[in-house]
Amino acid sequence: MSCGNPHEVECTTVLEMVYLYIDDELDEIRRVEVVTHLKECYPCAGVFQVETTIKARVQVCCSGQAPQQLRVAIAEQLRQSLSGER
Amino acid sequence: MSDQVTTQTERAQRFEEQALPYLDGLYGAAMRMTRNPSDAEDLVQETFVKAFAAFDSFEQGTNLKAWLFRILTNTYINSYRKKQRQPHQSSVDELTDYQLHEAESHTSRGLRSAEVEALDLLADDDIVRAMSELPDEFRIAVYLADVEGFPYKEIAEIMETPVGTVMSRLHRGRKMLREQLTQYAIDHGYMPASAASGGEDA
Repeated sequence: MSCGNPHEVECTTVLEMVYLYIDDELDEIRRVEVVTHLKECYPCAGVFQVETTIKARVQVCCSGQAPQQLRVAIAEQLRQSLSGER
Repeated sequence: MSDQVTTQTERAQRFEEQALPYLDGLYGAAMRMTRNPSDAEDLVQETFVKAFAAFDSFEQGTNLKAWLFRILTNTYINSYRKKQRQPHQSSVDELTDYQLHEAESHTSRGLRSAEVEALDLLADDDIVRAMSELPDEFRIAVYLADVEGFPYKEIAEIMETPVGTVMSRLHRGRKMLREQLTQYAIDHGYMPASAASGGEDA
């Protein structure tokens, strides 16, 4: 499937690399190929934007903050294991 | 103070200094794994006990963060998941992988911006809920990649699986996640049903 415009790298090839791209797993040559393609291909850019948006939302919404009591409990446990009380 | 005591104290101090900064990340992962705060706390605590006991076998200068996440993941898979009596899910990897190589397309031009806007409108809870509905292995892979930013090679080490399996889990997990989020967006009226599944009509 193509968006109809000529590209150096095919749309399907670029779309296959969407996760490698958002996860920063592409080598520099591939990365530049993708960036160049996305600048000239609006539909592919849209697909990448959707995946980037989801990744960003997951990153923010699913990060955790340990409760203070857990932090204290772990520190306490460590001290106890040292003094041989366990 | 004897040399041995000094060494033990130093070891504990070193462990605390080096490992405790990862507590929030480990807790976040444990929350995604167990899906409840009480089990998550227990899981993290058990992870720290195991990690401290094995700290001598940890090679200083190598990746402590990945090592801790590996212990957490192992502990979850080997004990908590059993306790939670969930159906065994490792078989998800053996399901047919045809979708992985299925060419994506973008036939529904112009609808992506609507999809992005709808995704931005979703509540934080919707994102958490959609994640919680993914099978374990997919959810853990997505968490490690998206929240912790681990490279594939390290996710493979943490999950004790080949890199290709990590890629497959991420691919399929994200596809399911996107479909779920799109469904929520439609349910909330953030986007019309006609705008959905734009990338799946290859």
